[in-house]
Amino acid sequence: MSRFPVRKAAVLGAGVMGAQIAAHLANAGVQPVLFDLAAEGRDRNAIVRKALEGLAKLEPSPLATKDVAERIVAANYDEHLALLGDCELVVEAISERMDWKKSLFDKVAPHLSPRAVFASNTSGLSITELSNVLPAALRPRFCGIHFFNPPRYMRLVELIPTAATDPAVVDDLEAFLTTALGKGVVRARDTPNFVANRVGVFSMLATMHHTLAFGLGFDEVDALTGPAIGRAKSATYRTADVVGLDTMAHVVKTMHDTLPADPWHAHYRAPEWLAGLIAKGALGQKTKAGIFVKKGKEIQVLDLARQDYRPSAGAVAEEVQAILQERDPAARFAKLRASSHPQARFLWAIFRDLFHYCAVHLAEIAHCARDVDLAIRWGFGWQMGPFEIWQAAGWREVAGWIAEDIAAGRAMAAVPLPGWVTDGRQGVHGAEGSFSAADDTMHSRSTLPVYRRQRFPELVLGEKPAPRGTTVFEDEGVRMWHDGDGVAVVSFRSKMHSLGTEVLEGLNRALDEAEAGFDALVIWHEAPFAVGANLKAALESLQAGRLAEFEAMVALFQRTSQRLKYSPVPTVAAVEGMALGGGCEFAMHAQRVVAAFESYLGLVEVGVGLLPAGGGLKELAQRANAWAKGGDAFPELGRLFRQVAMADVSRSAAHARELGYLRPADVVVFHPAELLHVARGQARAMADAGHRPPLAPPRIPVAGSTGIATLKMMLVNMREGGFISEHDYEIGSRIATVICGGEVEPGSAVDEQWLLDLERHHFVELAKTAKTQERIAHMLKTGKPLRN
Amino acid sequence: MTRQIQDAYIVSAVRTPVGKAPRGMFRTVRPDDLLAHVLRGAVAAVPGLEAKEVGDVIVGCAMPEAEQGMNVARIGVLLAGFPDSVPAMTINRFCSSGVQAVALAADRIRTGDDDVVIAAGTESMSMVPMMGNKIAMNGAVFAHDENVAIAYGMGITAERVAAQWKVSREAQDAFAAESHRRAAAAIAAGHFRDEILPYEIRGAVPDLAAGKVTHRTRVADTDEGPRPDSSPESLGKLRPAFAARGSVTAGNSSQMSDGAGALVLMSEAAMKRHGAKPLARFLGFAVAGVPPEIMGIGPIHAIPKVLAQAGVKQADLDWIELNEAFAAQSLAVVNELGLDPARVNPQGGAIALGHPLGATGAIRAATMAHGLRRTKGRYGMVTMCIGTGMGAAGLFEAMH
Repeated sequence: MSRFPVRKAAVLGAGVMGAQIAAHLANAGVQPVLFDLAAEGRDRNAIVRKALEGLAKLEPSPLATKDVAERIVAANYDEHLALLGDCELVVEAISERMDWKKSLFDKVAPHLSPRAVFASNTSGLSITELSNVLPAALRPRFCGIHFFNPPRYMRLVELIPTAATDPAVVDDLEAFLTTALGKGVVRARDTPNFVANRVGVFSMLATMHHTLAFGLGFDEVDALTGPAIGRAKSATYRTADVVGLDTMAHVVKTMHDTLPADPWHAHYRAPEWLAGLIAKGALGQKTKAGIFVKKGKEIQVLDLARQDYRPSAGAVAEEVQAILQERDPAARFAKLRASSHPQARFLWAIFRDLFHYCAVHLAEIAHCARDVDLAIRWGFGWQMGPFEIWQAAGWREVAGWIAEDIAAGRAMAAVPLPGWVTDGRQGVHGAEGSFSAADDTMHSRSTLPVYRRQRFPELVLGEKPAPRGTTVFEDEGVRMWHDGDGVAVVSFRSKMHSLGTEVLEGLNRALDEAEAGFDALVIWHEAPFAVGANLKAALESLQAGRLAEFEAMVALFQRTSQRLKYSPVPTVAAVEGMALGGGCEFAMHAQRVVAAFESYLGLVEVGVGLLPAGGGLKELAQRANAWAKGGDAFPELGRLFRQVAMADVSRSAAHARELGYLRPADVVVFHPAELLHVARGQARAMADAGHRPPLAPPRIPVAGSTGIATLKMMLVNMREGGFISEHDYEIGSRIATVICGGEVEPGSAVDEQWLLDLERHHFVELAKTAKTQERIAHMLKTGKPLRN
Repeated sequence: MTRQIQDAYIVSAVRTPVGKAPRGMFRTVRPDDLLAHVLRGAVAAVPGLEAKEVGDVIVGCAMPEAEQGMNVARIGVLLAGFPDSVPAMTINRFCSSGVQAVALAADRIRTGDDDVVIAAGTESMSMVPMMGNKIAMNGAVFAHDENVAIAYGMGITAERVAAQWKVSREAQDAFAAESHRRAAAAIAAGHFRDEILPYEIRGAVPDLAAGKVTHRTRVADTDEGPRPDSSPESLGKLRPAFAARGSVTAGNSSQMSDGAGALVLMSEAAMKRHGAKPLARFLGFAVAGVPPEIMGIGPIHAIPKVLAQAGVKQADLDWIELNEAFAAQSLAVVNELGLDPARVNPQGGAIALGHPLGATGAIRAATMAHGLRRTKGRYGMVTMCIGTGMGAAGLFEAMH
């Protein structure tokens, strides 16, 4: 664990990054103080306050819950420097100007606590140069801490120590960033733009270079360089618009200014068209115009030939599509290179120059190849880093092709591949670690204690996988396994972890096994936790008129939920990502949930014309009572009803707690790779505490007919206002009926089975309707809800 | 006192300024305190009258619960420092409660059972929201289609009226802008000064740094709602509030408000006894029922009814306070009955001035009484639509 307890942290600079870093610290339960210049006028914190208001408008939201921004203390350098005195961590995030940073450092240094760690979020300046302008006493506690935008969602933080930095400080920070903030740390050398931006921005430059060379449209290139090759949906040019074209140009200029001897130096300049856009003030998303522009509902793209915008329509050619769908990466690359289609030749060219660049620079910029690959994955959202892609495509063959192209003058730089590339190796990643060109050895993983919390760390291609543990059983639906500590783990095997009969049966068998021979059972697998019931199977039974089979599946669902709730061994759900519909219900029934910070829970059944019937409404009816503590439960019930009727999904684990899908005793973990560690710890602690399952409540008071009518009042106004359809009204009325315990006297006492029977009855009634079946079919076809 | 059929006269009419709810100037001021204030002020406005001579106090309140529950009328009387001997009752007919109180007070006098009665209204929508703190519908509402409109929000009924009476979005916004313009002009001209009783708001907030309570006072003397900068263009930008493709917006609907008003009514004999001068004579009151889903048209039925009762012609009405629940229903009423727009809400209406539900009738009766006196008009009316489908109209004659 971190020996670096950060209770209070200051962020200097309330720009886009500073404010969002402060927000994420607040998400993590740290008390942030956000500084900026003192404003003129009555409210001297006006600059910071404006930034804090801006946080609420950002999408995706940097805030775990709405009130997080209120926890950030606004401050200015003129009045509040004394607040720095008890901050354990101070992050500088002001503009990239050496002189401004130096003057700020002079101002704050005398106010820092002697134990405080001081770090700069610079992306362009040298950390060593920054360190040199600090008082000598502060240098051991100073380093670079480079977050990526948006800092809540981008996994990567680059840590850049200087020669003067105390190694213990970096170790502490790494542990803090990992466990407390959930970040993936890559240690970088103090070279211009560090690792991720150095490689990632070059990749964009190379893409821009070849866009022009092959005469492709920006929209066409985005179609090629997005998910089609395992990268983010925003691909290349949309990403540039989002980042800001001026920011992009600034980073490129840093490379131009600081890397004069680089073989690619000639390419470190913004292309003319880009400079032209910037000159016109078209800076991308922030100015609502850039490479792309939204005209009404239509997205338009800049067409260089016409010097004007035209409708964005770029697509991957069928021929190239077929190549990209080739499963074997080696064959894929061979075909790309062999094709004469400009799109294919373009793709080969951008990969070739990227591989070339990475190979030449590996020694200088990174400790080992794994750092490059993880940095690009975590900082740019690629599924695989450049070295991994190369290695997967066949290292030697690709190296030969690159050398050929260099020799033929087709590559962007004439520098030859370094010798190690062709020393007979098959790649840079292997069981013994990842290659370091700097010291010509294979580097194994960090041995910092914090990484012992990651039972399954995120691996790079070719890396030795973590042991799978001892299998108890493995079938079509699930795998049950353990590490010999008495805590069994059951992991779903279905696609997107949807819940079909095989998963339900597997989970029941795992419960049997756990109850017979283990101390506890943890449900864990990588995200998503579960996207709900297997709709395909459900629709098939419905359409074939096999209603009894359909109802039996719902009953099995309910029995499984109840078993999770009442099992004599502790049941712990380790949730990460989406836990929707039945997935949310299983989490609600587990005796404890350990949720990753990025957890999206919701009862979204209305989207497919159904209602929660795996015990979800039954639980909500009880939770409303529990929160009301004997008072009027109806306001809570009404809130919960609205959530279900609107298919609200939590935007974080903290938000899920507000929504009532997580309980106060449930635990939130920031780093997803630590989820299993914490879940097993919780399960173990519950077992050791002499675990008893909860007793079934003898009586559950329900809102009855008055409750139903009052909820229907809301629905009827939405229907009359045209906000919901007649079928939505029907679904909503049935949800109201279930959550209120049916048409009974208000305050009547029912039991869990009564509520479960209501759930099942109304679920089946809805499933029988044509409109619901249309909704299910539409969801299966398009992945989107139908509002009919 | 002799029992006889006699006329009832308004001899004083006061009100608080109207604050915006739920975050306006009266957000922390209790409705029973507002009531006590106007009760004291109404009596004080009749120099020859002592509180002990008040035979009854009838107070309208549309959501009489919580801060305005427990028979708020009697609490207000006691808080006002009136003697224990002065009785009081709270009455409720939603938005018409204030003018209903005037009618009931007048009736006590007209039958000769009382000589001096106070009619009032109070409402804090900051403290007790529309529909009250606990909504609990009867399941029977949904059992029969003809009852379902009981569950309709007022905005939905306004949309129905807009559709059925073909009131366009533009007409609604223009009407709303005119309401603001008239209200702002009336404030600037000081036309509300005679009726408004300034209220001293006392605040007590913890000063955490100093560890003590900070007391603040400010005097509220002006209605908070009117926006002089409101225009059809600015209102035109608002999104429909109640229906996805509707025309009723927050801007062309009445505002949620806090406020209170009180009027002293007397018989002729009592006026002589106390040396009081009449502002207006009460001529009559009528209520009518209409379908709940188009409740906004209530005045279309109530206005002719009361005019017929009193034998007064519509054309002779000089001052009509038509509560602007929504521009849509106000325009439907004006157009359907052919009311003269210049005489309807000459100083603006609820869209600008606010609508503290059960207090509105008393407040606007005060506006009407003082307005008629100032403009030397003769017949005045206070009328409004009422949730779940009713209309009310009170008719008065100015005494110059």
